[in-house]
Amino acid sequence: MKVVELASLCGFEVLCMPDGDRQVSGAYIGDLLSWVMGRARADSAWITIMSNVNVIAVASLADVACVILAEGVTLDDELIKTATAKGVNILKSELPAYETATELVGKV
Amino acid sequence: MKELSLNILDVAENSVKAGAALTQISIDETDELLTLKIIDDGCGMSEETVKAVTDPFYTTRTTRKVGLGVPLLKLAAEQTGGSFSIVSKSSEQYKSEHGTVVSASFYKNHLDFTPLGDVVSSVTTLIQGHPDTDFLFTHSFNGNVVKLDTRELREVLGDVSLGEYDVIKWIEEYLKEQYDQFG
Repeated sequence: MKVVELASLCGFEVLCMPDGDRQVSGAYIGDLLSWVMGRARADSAWITIMSNVNVIAVASLADVACVILAEGVTLDDELIKTATAKGVNILKSELPAYETATELVGKV
Repeated sequence: MKELSLNILDVAENSVKAGAALTQISIDETDELLTLKIIDDGCGMSEETVKAVTDPFYTTRTTRKVGLGVPLLKLAAEQTGGSFSIVSKSSEQYKSEHGTVVSASFYKNHLDFTPLGDVVSSVTTLIQGHPDTDFLFTHSFNGNVVKLDTRELREVLGDVSLGEYDVIKWIEEYLKEQYDQFG
């Protein structure tokens, strides 16, 4: 499924979506960035509550299809600009990480 | 990173890469605060570069476009309410006294404090990987000091490389003994 379809099916808010046609496959949940960097698989959706510039760097490095910020966490405008420039899709969910993940079941 | 010792290893590797003859790693602990300093006499950085290194999209690597060592250390310090700074003098501007000082302080009682971890292993890994450069490691806590100075070892060892297995093993034991002594 494409990121753009996932966002609309799950009702996630789109913070930025420079590459909405990207296919999502699988998901990973984690907040310790160095840990996520080595473990999140390429093309997966990464669910986190962290919201600093390093999130964008890790997403780019791990080559995930999108980041989903859980618990209503958001990014400031400057970071959204950076994510857009680096081609990182960022979605936002009001739900905690587990409930956010259950939304993805059967879709990715 | 799960342990600060891994951050130390990472930042000290940058010092070696900058051509440092001596890299000083100091950890100073009180009950509340842990202050980490990595001081080298390497080639240093320009003001612009210093600003850029805390940006994860800056890296000296050519194989990938993001460098997270310094940004993650900064994050680890700041998420405990601590602070982070880099001061550098580039060899182009400062002919004799150049180098870089990376400082990070952590509030140890904050829930998001990253444990120090196996710092002995970080120090021995550094020495084994770079037996021809010098390291001064000090860790002080409650008035006790654990110390290792490779310049002193080099004098005793003469022609024997610091990278020799037996030397590394000895260094490891020497550091562990000092830690045991202070509990």
